[in-house]
Amino acid sequence: MTAFVASRRRPFLQRLADASEPWLYTAPALILIVAVMLVPLVLGVSYAFRDIKLLNPFGGGFVGLKHFEALATDQAFRTALVNTLWWTGASVLIQFVFGLILALLLNQPFRGRAIAQALCFLPWAVPSFLTGLDWAWLFNPVIGPLPHWFVALGLMETPQSILSDPDLAMWGPIAANVWWGIPFFAITLLAALQAIPKDLYEAAAIDGAGPIERFRSITLPFLAPTIAITILLRTVWISNFADLIVVMTNGGPADRTQIVASYIFTTAFRRLDFGYASAIALVLLVLLLAYSMLIVLLRQSLLKRG
Amino acid sequence: MRRNPVLTVLHRLAIGLYIAFALFPLYWLLKVSVTPNDLLYSEGVRLWPSRTSFEHYAFVIANSEFPRFFLNSFIVSGSTAVIVTIVAAVAGYALSRFAFRGKYWITALMLLTQMFPLVMLIAPMFKILSPLGLTNSLTGLIVVYTAFNVPFATFLMQSFFDGIPRDLEEAAMIDGATRFVAFRQIILPLTLPGIAATLGFVFTAAWSELLFALMLISGNAAATFPVGLLSFVSKFSVDFGQMMAAGILALIPAALFFLLIQRYLVQGLTAGAVKG
Amino acid sequence: MIKSLIAASVAAVLMTGTALADTTLKLVEVITSPERTETLRGIVKTFEEANPGTTVEIISLPWNEAFEKFATMYSAGEIPDVMEMPDTWLALYGNNGALEDLEPYLKDWEHTADLSDRALEFGRQVGGKTYMLPYGFYLRAMFYNKKLLQEAGVAEPPKTLDEFMEASKKVSALPGKYGYCLRGGPGGLNGWMMFGASMAGSDQLFKEDGTSTFADPGWVNGLKYLVDLYRNGYAPKDSVNWGFNDIVAGFYSGTCAFLDQDPDALIAIAERMNPDDYGVTTMPKGPDGKTFPTIGFAGWSMLANSAEKDLAWKLIATLEGPEGNIAWNKRTGALPALTSASKDPHFATPQFEGWFKELADPDAKPLSMPTYLEEFAYFKDSLVIKTSQQALLGEITPEDLARQWADYMTAAQQKWLANKK
Repeated sequence: MTAFVASRRRPFLQRLADASEPWLYTAPALILIVAVMLVPLVLGVSYAFRDIKLLNPFGGGFVGLKHFEALATDQAFRTALVNTLWWTGASVLIQFVFGLILALLLNQPFRGRAIAQALCFLPWAVPSFLTGLDWAWLFNPVIGPLPHWFVALGLMETPQSILSDPDLAMWGPIAANVWWGIPFFAITLLAALQAIPKDLYEAAAIDGAGPIERFRSITLPFLAPTIAITILLRTVWISNFADLIVVMTNGGPADRTQIVASYIFTTAFRRLDFGYASAIALVLLVLLLAYSMLIVLLRQSLLKRG
Repeated sequence: MRRNPVLTVLHRLAIGLYIAFALFPLYWLLKVSVTPNDLLYSEGVRLWPSRTSFEHYAFVIANSEFPRFFLNSFIVSGSTAVIVTIVAAVAGYALSRFAFRGKYWITALMLLTQMFPLVMLIAPMFKILSPLGLTNSLTGLIVVYTAFNVPFATFLMQSFFDGIPRDLEEAAMIDGATRFVAFRQIILPLTLPGIAATLGFVFTAAWSELLFALMLISGNAAATFPVGLLSFVSKFSVDFGQMMAAGILALIPAALFFLLIQRYLVQGLTAGAVKG
Repeated sequence: MIKSLIAASVAAVLMTGTALADTTLKLVEVITSPERTETLRGIVKTFEEANPGTTVEIISLPWNEAFEKFATMYSAGEIPDVMEMPDTWLALYGNNGALEDLEPYLKDWEHTADLSDRALEFGRQVGGKTYMLPYGFYLRAMFYNKKLLQEAGVAEPPKTLDEFMEASKKVSALPGKYGYCLRGGPGGLNGWMMFGASMAGSDQLFKEDGTSTFADPGWVNGLKYLVDLYRNGYAPKDSVNWGFNDIVAGFYSGTCAFLDQDPDALIAIAERMNPDDYGVTTMPKGPDGKTFPTIGFAGWSMLANSAEKDLAWKLIATLEGPEGNIAWNKRTGALPALTSASKDPHFATPQFEGWFKELADPDAKPLSMPTYLEEFAYFKDSLVIKTSQQALLGEITPEDLARQWADYMTAAQQKWLANKK
């Protein structure tokens, strides 16, 4: 702020230099984002209103809202949308709950904490393709142990892959995603936990607050902004994240694990219908934007209260 | 604070359970990689094969092009991590320290880029990069990965800077230092953990990326290791043993790097606590 | 020391100069594995030695992603000179003007007469132009597990569909064992086609006016046969999502006793199973005493945009010539396209007997898929997987399944017929 007060007394050129300073610093990032992401993105959005089929040299004309009209009655899209809600909601929620528990556990000092922390965070370093393959094996009754454990626990009658069961298939990729994604929440929440001043807890303890009361009145409010931003980012990432599903079930059986992101991929690269795929992508983008606005507003109100 | 011994035991038990959960799938990868082909299915559900062999590792190291894929991955991930961290540090600093018109637009733009399904960027991106000679080249891949990772890295760096009191640099600037000198001599050393964290985050992300590596690169000369892994999947058979051996070898650098920096990740984030 | 360094670097610069003057051909392979690439490199080397100054750059696209990858490359103008062409892509690229007609080159080629009639017929499938030269065929036959059949009390491998159902039932009575390694996931169409056609007793897929036969009673019965097999528990419950690796693993591991596969699966199976424990026989026959094992093919195509067509042809000729064809098919496991190559001792082993018997059987007629239809790739890779899984899970009836397929294929065939006029 002092910089701004001072700038009023400076000559014009100096003020110009000051005003352009932040732009100078952000320029490399902005140029990169605009050139590599925004330009293809705008191109991609324009496809949604055109008849673009890869390999079709005669396509490319504008078709207006035709793709969106088709989308309105597309049963497969509706199924994929519902599946996306499931996939994203369950993945984010479970990752968050376990991530929070892990962060709380690791926040207590104990011997060997550094190494335990390192091991807990390891799954995050595994490429998603390998994660998917690995979990597909774990669920396979011939080359994986999980179905046999389920049988031993009485959860299943004969060892079978849940990936082939239409009612359970979605839980396969969700389990893999939870395993892979817990560390992200744990790392960010642990960092936030460590930033909470310790004397607050001591003061509360002196006032006679129990552990649950302390968690509710100190920990949660301090974590709230971090929780909001990490949940926002993860929701957006996961709803666009089809790698695990493509590797593990390829959308099957009978489209039970087809999410919008994998449906876009199938439409674009199997049917080679880029126009329609872009239209679906645009709808997904709008939905995610609406969701993000909601979270940002929520976070603003939380920050104000805090 | 003294703790209840029952709670302590429960606490250690919970940690142990989670570590087992985190490591078991990795253990399974390791198991498959040392199982000889003829036992892969017949002893598929055993916790450890009756006979182990390192033939898959030997094949991957001696006969496949994995050493080159490795090198390519190192070049791409390393360069991406360094460039992203520099670009994001500068941008994050600006977002943290200046109140300027357009700041919210920049943040919004960066958030927007996180939402668009990347699948749809492939074809347009290929069309743009192809005439520039940037398809099928490591440089092209570095450019693309850098752009993808800058937004999140900028958020990270901004939160680190937010955690450093402004008084420090303002004091220096009053003493006559330029903003740049203040940044370099005072702020930068304080953000080192944050920088390490960003480096590590971007490195692992670039090391694992498959979709764009696959679509932008053809031919082995510029292939990265995730693409190389797919070469073990043919139409008619998959050599899981070799593939897993390659996968385990490829995990080692990423895991090591991650283990080294994860301490800074928490420490660095603590400074700003991802306040966004 | 420094002088020699300078000399070396000057030499290096000169050499890159000459290297730039040379021609480079781009060769894309799409059905890849490290071993296949190695074999391909060996064949290409003989070509490079015979044509000094020409280098061939081999681009290997992993099969699972090859379709989208190549389509992206092609549409952005990164076009190779020669490519490996799977049967399912031929119509798409042929009809869009991407491929060069090889007929003029075949006229003067010394080995043209050696090509089997079937190879030429498949190569000329799209618009009557020779857009590809098949290097080999993939013909389905039935692998069976001798041990499991013995345990279940099945004396000999089933010859008819009824016997097949009966044998599957007996094997499934064993705890944890199943009859058929059903492929409900990617690549499952072949199985549906074979059981459908064998039940219908005909390989006619379309009527004169372009109407698909899928919805005819015979076909519906065939589809129903497979759905019943699954719903009665004669195939593993998991198999609704199985792809190539899962069915082959199911067979190796002795989970299921019957597997329909191409000869290339032999390579993988021979590595993991005792040769005395399994056999290969003709696919089971339908009520009319006929069976229709599917036949597929892959080959080499020249791209119409190639700047070096004569060299590109020479490369194809090397790949397709006797030496190249034998070496390549030994690795791929396909039945070779050259008549002389199929006489190579490699294919005279008892392993291949099952296929040659099937080929010789007048009641086993190879069924070729309508790969000349552009819509076929999507039909096979997306529509069929989704709808057949729905049928297996009991969400739609076999009649619904047949009707959906018939509707899609009728539209595709009639469009094709209209364009032909």
